[in-house]
Amino acid sequence: MSRLAPDRWAAVAMFAVAALTPLVVRDAFLLDSVILILLWGALSAAWNVAGGYAGQVSLGHAAFFGIGAYAAALMSARYAQSPWLGLAVGVALSVVAGALIGYLSNRLKGPYFALSTIAFAEVLKIVASRWRGFTSGSEGVPVPYRPGFWTLGLGHVAWLYLILVVAVGCYALQVYLERSRVGYQLAGVREDEDAAEALGIATRRRKVQAIVVSAAMTSACGSLWAQYVGFVDPSHVFSIDLSVRFALNSIIGGIGTALGPFLGSLLITSLETSGVEASFTGIYLIIYGVVLILIVRFAPDGLTGIAGRFWAWRARAHA
Amino acid sequence: MLTLEAVTKRFGGLTAVRAVSLEVRAGDLLGIIGPNGAGKTTLFNVIAGYYRPEEGRVRFEGRDVTGLPPHAIARLGLTRTFQIVKPFGNLSVADNVMIGALTRLPRVAHARARALPIALRKRLEVARALATRPRFLLLDEVMAGLNPTELVGIVDLVRRVHAEGVTLIVIEHVMAAMMRLAQRIVMLHHGEKIAEGTPQEIAHDRRVIDAYLGDEFNLAEA
Repeated sequence: MSRLAPDRWAAVAMFAVAALTPLVVRDAFLLDSVILILLWGALSAAWNVAGGYAGQVSLGHAAFFGIGAYAAALMSARYAQSPWLGLAVGVALSVVAGALIGYLSNRLKGPYFALSTIAFAEVLKIVASRWRGFTSGSEGVPVPYRPGFWTLGLGHVAWLYLILVVAVGCYALQVYLERSRVGYQLAGVREDEDAAEALGIATRRRKVQAIVVSAAMTSACGSLWAQYVGFVDPSHVFSIDLSVRFALNSIIGGIGTALGPFLGSLLITSLETSGVEASFTGIYLIIYGVVLILIVRFAPDGLTGIAGRFWAWRARAHA
Repeated sequence: MLTLEAVTKRFGGLTAVRAVSLEVRAGDLLGIIGPNGAGKTTLFNVIAGYYRPEEGRVRFEGRDVTGLPPHAIARLGLTRTFQIVKPFGNLSVADNVMIGALTRLPRVAHARARALPIALRKRLEVARALATRPRFLLLDEVMAGLNPTELVGIVDLVRRVHAEGVTLIVIEHVMAAMMRLAQRIVMLHHGEKIAEGTPQEIAHDRRVIDAYLGDEFNLAEA
């Protein structure tokens, strides 16, 4: 347990810094960066529940993100209802969608599972683009800004604290998965399904459950994203770029660890929002690619893995 | 405790297990021997729920478990180890065992499971299965590939497990160990049960010698 302390401390420090930022600076751009780091981190943590802890590597999580984004946006734009209601509807739909895809692709492993999830997100993208009467098609849906918590028309500071609560919640759920009975069962499923079965673990049910929980979290974050950004269109919210982003944050930060998704998001999101991108459009993608190659080649367990090895080395050096 | 009634398992045109019947009573230590491809592991897979037999029934403590998924059978108290050991390689040894329940292997507990030498991985395989507190355990070649010293250790482990009241079926190629360990031995050949008896009876059985042992098995070697 004590071996894990450093990365728990890092997470506490990271969330504390985020919480203190608005007290020190009021710069909208900086607050926006912190919000996005936390939000992409939370989304990646949601992906990590299925992809990291249960080993169900999906490249179609944009499906759930898009469901959540559209549910909230349409609920407030089309029906003038609270986006919170849209968030709840989105979560319900994503639970159904997650259960469906989890059940249908239950026997598929590795790349085959990933391909089936890509296909699922693409199907939803086409539906959202073509169902013009309901979704306004590829024109997208602008989300009306109505000030207030119930209508999610918030200022930057309020958004930051709301997203911080969500991020801490996602982090806490991952910590639970590392230490609980169900977390151990998921680890068994991830490592070897046959052996897990021999130990009395209902592997198929556990896999579906992991995907459903992950889908619900992704959908909720998608709803919040739609309200924060204020515009939803099918080619972005259902895009494979987003799905890949959820996965890559976790892979770069450390797949199957609680801190990994947030560390990955800190690195990637700040690269994206930093001045580097403003002065040289597209360089962010180049850096992104180089970082990814370096991580996959030299540290497949991600930044938390590097930190863990450094910590162990230091402990030995001091012993 | 465990009853197989004329169990048959086919893969396409190949009949891997043909009408095998078996009766294992509580407290038994039954050995299964046979040449490669005789259907030993397939039989385990049928008993533990990994394969559904085309014909016949499997009963565990009077209950028909034919076609139940492996995890349901494991929860009834019957579990197995794998011939090709399946450690949860990226997890520590302690975590491997934790996934079943709680026991301890102090000295190597925090090593990554895939870093263990084969003898310890075989032991881990047994420890992990035991962590589920099974009343009935299927051991698939836990002695294969071990040196004589390691062999003594694992034979001792199997004996202790048996002494704790666990009923066992053991698949083994190491005949010497099997002869000392098992109370009763079943011989499979081409998917059929061709002999059943005490180790002495098996060692002198003409069909067994023809099919497998080659020469009359010398018990003195055992």
